Amino acid sequence: MAIARDASEITRPVADVPPRNVGRLVRRYAPITIGIFLAVAMIVLAAAAPLIAPLSPSAQYSDAVLKGPGFADRHALGTDEFGRDIYSRIIWGTRISLQVGLASVIFGFLVGVPLGIFAGVQGGRVETAIMRGSDMLMAFPTLLLALLIVTALGGSLENEIIAIGIALTPNFLRLARSLSLQIREQDYIMAARAIGSGQLRVMARHVFPNALYALVVVATLYIATAIRTEASLSFLGLGIPPPTPSWGNILSEGRQYIKCCPWITTFSGVAIMMAVLAFNLMGDALRDLLDPRLRGE
Amino acid sequence: MFQYVLRRLLVAVPMLLGAMSIVFFAMRILPGDPCVAMMGDQATSAALADCTKHLGLHRPLAVQYADYIWRSVQLDFGTSLRQGYPVSEYIGRMFPHTLILVLAAAVVAALVGVPIGIISALQRRNPLVDYPLRIFALLGLSMPVFWLGILLLMFFSLRFDLFPLIGGGDLEGVMTMIRSGELFTYPGDFFAGVLDVLHHLTLPALALGFTLAATVSRLSRSAMLEVIGQDYIRTARAKGQVERMVVYKHALRNMLVPLLTIIGLFVAIALTGTVLTETVFTRPGLGKMLVDSINARDYPLAQGAITVFTMTIILVNLLVDMAYALADPRITYK
Repeated sequence: MAIARDASEITRPVADVPPRNVGRLVRRYAPITIGIFLAVAMIVLAAAAPLIAPLSPSAQYSDAVLKGPGFADRHALGTDEFGRDIYSRIIWGTRISLQVGLASVIFGFLVGVPLGIFAGVQGGRVETAIMRGSDMLMAFPTLLLALLIVTALGGSLENEIIAIGIALTPNFLRLARSLSLQIREQDYIMAARAIGSGQLRVMARHVFPNALYALVVVATLYIATAIRTEASLSFLGLGIPPPTPSWGNILSEGRQYIKCCPWITTFSGVAIMMAVLAFNLMGDALRDLLDPRLRGE
Repeated sequence: MFQYVLRRLLVAVPMLLGAMSIVFFAMRILPGDPCVAMMGDQATSAALADCTKHLGLHRPLAVQYADYIWRSVQLDFGTSLRQGYPVSEYIGRMFPHTLILVLAAAVVAALVGVPIGIISALQRRNPLVDYPLRIFALLGLSMPVFWLGILLLMFFSLRFDLFPLIGGGDLEGVMTMIRSGELFTYPGDFFAGVLDVLHHLTLPALALGFTLAATVSRLSRSAMLEVIGQDYIRTARAKGQVERMVVYKHALRNMLVPLLTIIGLFVAIALTGTVLTETVFTRPGLGKMLVDSINARDYPLAQGAITVFTMTIILVNLLVDMAYALADPRITYK
């Protein structure tokens, strides 16, 4: 190249190397980074609760009943009406939220996805029967259905997982069906059938792997729903019975003391919000990054 | 059009029956005898037999089921075990409280959510506008309504003593005055009553409304984005229409049609929200009644409340579908 004739020629960017836009990168990856960070922090807290929590979640300190944050250098987030350490209880409560959040989504996935793919690929009367059943469950909002099932089964960790899992099932079923309706029209499905693949093989080896991407993205968002539903059930006194700490029942117990001791409800509420936010951020970001088909769903 | 309405109706009926069956069987697989649960272990066997007979639990399950469906259709849900009077009467008294809460929350959600959704759709290329709005929507989606309710109570009721901590105001008194015509003879008392009800309604409506606003803003954002990409918008711009007029005259009106469909979804979320909101604010209503009746093991009352909730959601969805067909004649039943 000849000697530059003026400054503009020197500073003009080379056409085929696009300028790196830091702002755009940050905007694109900040939400998912924050989401993953919060979710990983939650998993670490849940897994290592006995190591991280400074005190036992059920130990009652009679000298520290309803004390504020920082009391006696022992209770960083204060204590409740039995003198139990709120910080330790919230850390142990992470286990319940994460267990229910993950297990109920896996439950809904394992029941809903095979049924949905079967309905979508099979079609006909089978499809109508499955979809009508799912529509009936869809008539109930998630919390209401979970509330009904938990009332019927009784409040415990397993029953909460089953209740929220059943409430989430029709969502997975519907998505799996609509995805397999698209996939079953593809050429590779016809090719698979042409070489003699049976119905089951088509569903398991061809439809399921192609639907998996979108299903996992949506599953992340439903973890947020499951965690919020768990907290709501516990808050209503229908979830895991005390003294096992869950964020919802810590908040519910603290409700009587909001006048004197607002820290009980404040910190447990922050925990719920951060957890739900983590999986919402992650799900949203994953959807935008990986699967533009789902945008706006 | 007529055929569409008819077929939509025909689909709604089995759905309603199915949902009611789910409620019935869920309440029947309860472990243990509801009478023992209710009366305690000390109850004599004669008293238990009496209770079983009173509830009709001695009959075959199929008979109980048919009886429940037949009575529910006539809005007869039996008698409350604790209160002693008909469940339908109790529901009738609680329903207006829940209705005004849902309506007030809908107003808050629409006033906050729709403008936010529109602005974030129109200004989506401007990160200074789009980002704060998206963060707001995400926070609203992640914040549980019961926690926001407690924060509002701590701030406005306890710290500044601006709003009452519990109760729903004398809504029945206000309604009686309307029915008897006393509102014309004692307008002062009437307006005092209305103000009292609104005073009790403000915080619950704000809490529920703000959490719903997040959903509304997301939905109206995508509705606006859909409309703004239509050909008639390009035509409007091409003919030299001012951008403000394009938005107000062309986009906004057409956005309302897709927005109409979400009313059904909105009612479902809002009704679920009332269960939590009414519990936090210790406010009378269907949602609080449901939670209280479950905790008190008052099964007919709980069953009635859930049935009414489900019926309302299915009916609202049906009405929305029909309104949608009226608003957009291109819709036909698929």
